[in-house]
Amino acid sequence: MQVIHDIEITTTSVLLDGKTIAVEQTGDKLLVELYRRYAGDYPKFFKMDTLSRLGFIAAELLLKQSAISDQQLVDAVILANRSASIKNDTDYLATITEGNYYPSPALFVYTLPNIVTGEIAIRHHIQGETSFYILNSPEQLKPIVASTLTAKHSTALVGWCECSKQDNFYAKMQLIWRN
Amino acid sequence: MEKLIEQLKAQIIEALNFEDMTPADIDTDAPLFGEGLGLDSIDALELIMLMDREYGIKLADPKAGKAVFQSVRTMAEYIQANRTK
Amino acid sequence: MVYCIGHNIISPLGEGSQANVQAVRAGRSGLKLHADRFADVEPFCASLFDTPQEFVPLCVRSVEDALEMAIGRLPLAIGSLPETIFILSTTKGDNLDLLTPAQTIAQHFGNPNPPIVVSNACTSGVCAQITAKRLLDAGMYRHAIVIGCDLQTRFIVSGFQSFKALSPEPCRPFSPDRQGLNLGEAAAAIIYSSQKPEVRDQPSWILEAGSIHNDANHLSAPSRTGEGAYRCLTDVMAGVTPADIDLIGVHGTGTLYNDDMETIAIERAGLQDVKKSILKPFFGHTMGAAGIVETIIGLEMLGKGSFIKMLSGFGGVNAAIRLTCK
Repeated sequence: MQVIHDIEITTTSVLLDGKTIAVEQTGDKLLVELYRRYAGDYPKFFKMDTLSRLGFIAAELLLKQSAISDQQLVDAVILANRSASIKNDTDYLATITEGNYYPSPALFVYTLPNIVTGEIAIRHHIQGETSFYILNSPEQLKPIVASTLTAKHSTALVGWCECSKQDNFYAKMQLIWRN
Repeated sequence: MEKLIEQLKAQIIEALNFEDMTPADIDTDAPLFGEGLGLDSIDALELIMLMDREYGIKLADPKAGKAVFQSVRTMAEYIQANRTK
Repeated sequence: MVYCIGHNIISPLGEGSQANVQAVRAGRSGLKLHADRFADVEPFCASLFDTPQEFVPLCVRSVEDALEMAIGRLPLAIGSLPETIFILSTTKGDNLDLLTPAQTIAQHFGNPNPPIVVSNACTSGVCAQITAKRLLDAGMYRHAIVIGCDLQTRFIVSGFQSFKALSPEPCRPFSPDRQGLNLGEAAAAIIYSSQKPEVRDQPSWILEAGSIHNDANHLSAPSRTGEGAYRCLTDVMAGVTPADIDLIGVHGTGTLYNDDMETIAIERAGLQDVKKSILKPFFGHTMGAAGIVETIIGLEMLGKGSFIKMLSGFGGVNAAIRLTCK
């Protein structure tokens, strides 16, 4: 398994292939800043919850780094975290308080953690596998990925995409190749 | 009616997360779905919720909503005629 | 080879796989109109336990029963072994906590490994079985205890009502006048092992293949050409022909788009003449449990032969598995 590119995003910093990307903002605003700088052509980004924005941006930067174009070659998107979609669950709950019951479909869409993999698949036309796991730590994902990518020449976006609150998130994602 | 239309545009922008838009950017008579703003099925459902929450109007059938949601103007006219808030 | 050595279902239709199979055979459905269960929520048609259940004890009971069946096939207490992995399939867990219940369940059985939770929307139950097969095929574990469970809550029902996805009546999958889906709740467990079972006259079901594909189309509407589902079907059909398949357990939620998409995918894969197992009119949509409940019923109804289970879910994901028992 070869790591082609890797990215680490915290609420205050971005590290792409070991090099720091200078950013002015922090938290969710950092994700918006990255979106405007590196994408900017996808208004649906603003409908996404923080978890999906985080995964979307990480995938965007990784795929821009590599020569892989939209329609090709990414066979799988396999992500994991510990908190599932709890941040968005909390936001949705606020729309169904007793006495103020107006359930928001736009928020309910994001009350499943695997939606972030769906957003990445739609953006990059990936009709391969999308999977999401809830694990205690990122290390647990390694055997799952290894047992998934058994075919030769598989390319995959894999990683940890965690968000427990709007300004408490962390992602470590890699573009990997099995040859 | 004009005041309602302006208010509605602002509410639509907020409810549907049109981050880079102002009410001035929305054409009152342009189609909301298809071309125009290019809204999708989830947006339609969110607008149904907006009608309930802001104006006390319950739209049970999404298909009936098609006529109501033709444009901002048709929405405003429907709200004017049916609002309970 | 990955052998199914045990299973269990606990649902409003009964306790135990056999009780649930008998209910389906007798045409009994768990679907009822519920008006008072949750505050503010409009009346909805669903299959719910008469007495509200607790997530962890329900799953533990399900696993215990499945293990009893397993010990008749493989005389080995596998729950606490380091070669055994617990995999939980759930969408909303125990009141929005997905990992802690999995850990509590695994610890209850004395298992030393951190469990895996699969949360891939409605396809989770099939994806969890695929994950089990992969880990066993890779030799990382020898046994996998796969559990599926979701309990209906105000959170979930309100959300589906905001989508206007629910039918006020029992669902009618594939029918021209279908109006949407019904929700349901259940716990189910299915146990796989790479160690061959020792039961002479009773061949075991073997999990032969599994596949997961995204439509890459829209988060909440399936691809109009059934792209992801079609690719899953062709993947699990590798090495066999449509004539070899005896039964397909379809997703069949009763929504306008899902059933159309599934029909197209099945036709594209050449499987249109294969008998379908349509179970949501009995159990409702049991979400994280669906892939496991509907697989077990399919296997038990068929007895022997070749069975495909397919599901689709939010986020554009599709999954399928093929099992054979000769």
